[in-house]
Amino acid sequence: MLKWYKDAGQNNDVVISSRVRLARNLKNYPFSVKLTEKQAAELVEKVKAATEVIENQATMKFYGCSADVLGDTEKAAMVERHIISPLLVAKEQSTGLILSEDESISIMINEEDHLRIQSITGGMNIGKAFHEANKIDDITGEIFDYAFHEKYGYLTSCPTNVGTGLRASYMVFLPALTIAGKIIKLAEELGQYGIALRGTYGEASKSVGSLFQISNQKTLGSTEKEIMEALDRIVEQVMKQERRQREYILTNNYDEFEDKVHRSYGVLKYAKQISSGDAMTLLAQLKLGMDMNLIHLGDSYNIHELMMEIQPGNLQCQLDKNVGSMQRDKFRADYIRKKLPEHV
Amino acid sequence: MLCDKCKKNEAKIYYTEIINGEKTEQHLCEECAAEYTSFPMGTAFMDQEITLGSLLSTILGNYYNNNPHGAEPAEKEISCNGCGMTYSEFLRDGRFGCAKCYDSFRKILEKSIKNIQGSDTHTGKKPKGFESKTQKLVKELSELDKLSLRLQDAIEKEEFEEAAKLRDKIRELKKEEINNA
Ligand SMILES: [Zn+2]
Ligand SMILES: [Zn+2]
Repeated sequence: MLKWYKDAGQNNDVVISSRVRLARNLKNYPFSVKLTEKQAAELVEKVKAATEVIENQATMKFYGCSADVLGDTEKAAMVERHIISPLLVAKEQSTGLILSEDESISIMINEEDHLRIQSITGGMNIGKAFHEANKIDDITGEIFDYAFHEKYGYLTSCPTNVGTGLRASYMVFLPALTIAGKIIKLAEELGQYGIALRGTYGEASKSVGSLFQISNQKTLGSTEKEIMEALDRIVEQVMKQERRQREYILTNNYDEFEDKVHRSYGVLKYAKQISSGDAMTLLAQLKLGMDMNLIHLGDSYNIHELMMEIQPGNLQCQLDKNVGSMQRDKFRADYIRKKLPEHV
Repeated sequence: MLCDKCKKNEAKIYYTEIINGEKTEQHLCEECAAEYTSFPMGTAFMDQEITLGSLLSTILGNYYNNNPHGAEPAEKEISCNGCGMTYSEFLRDGRFGCAKCYDSFRKILEKSIKNIQGSDTHTGKKPKGFESKTQKLVKELSELDKLSLRLQDAIEKEEFEEAAKLRDKIRELKKEEINNA
């Protein structure tokens, strides 16, 4: 089955993917910090056992497991693909995962909350992502007794998630705004509307590959629909700004930029070893060049997919063995060379 | 019967409170009842047994601020009756220990939650078939209790015509009950 990220989706020159996460807890278990290992193991088993019901009702293939059956490389790769969180990997207690075959839907078991239901879709379509996550939540909500409060809604470990338990986020590609040095100001502006802007890979302030996460901060007081509509309005503005900035680059620095894009392609196509940081920067240039019609690699070539595949963990998985970073950089260069189409 | 509160005067008011979905009944004297509620005393309805139910939140506030039976000593730290988490423990890593923590620390946290979230009331999705405790309780109330609640509501809104109608209905129902007994 096709993985979700093969489908680039709407507005994919700026919006790479749409993601929804619902935080849920079971009424009859203490939350994570007060959960004993015995209870944690029991919880994981119980939720895992629901995989079949979920599969039947969602009419989709799912795979359920305890996280300890996953290898370290596999886990690292899943973190890079945003299937699981670094927290789930770091936890010493029993944790688990239920994952759909196309990797678009996942349920993390015993992360910060008992259940973290997540759905991802390509491009700008938070509505679809929510629809899918909500469907799973309806199913699990029938199986388990959720901790739900009349006034506060769905109760979560951390009060910053209480209410809807909804985190809606877009992964956006903002190379032109990055070049123009406008990211920090943008983050401040969005903050005033209760919207957070963070780097996707790497730290919050310095993002690798000009990829950022834009998400709602508040979860209580608005309906799920209101939260997503507010987020959409903001993201549309950001999209406009980014596109305007791209136009500006084209108008004022066309030759320079065209040269840069083709150089990036050249390095990616001929390098013998390359670090993931360098590769990400060059791939970002290339994607921008493609979006701006400066270089043609075939209509539907999806750079974002390659960006994910060359992350250390995912590459390791392809190699199927643990290697040092030097060897990995060689393998990465090989991999990119093979995957990158000839330009037309 | 003596007043549940002062244990001195004759109890004249039968009083039902629904706090956090928990139903408690009290028999109070006029004096204590007046202190305890915003129900207008000394009206034409004084001779009636009245069941109150809609003043929940205000009562809740008053009750905690002014606990007549002497609240917990101030120096004792609040802790959750569900998981034993203390408030300072919560403050340390900002994570609750269980679902009951929300109510255990509610009084201290109500403002902070509002500050963090910009609101303190959920308006989104509810689990399928979720009934609020009050809804459940109201469902279980007798016809007479329901009418009394509506009467109370009508009086508060000064809808006296409606109140008169309800009062008549209550009388009829009571008569029937006596006849059936
Ligand atoms: Zn009294
Ligand atoms: Zn607790």
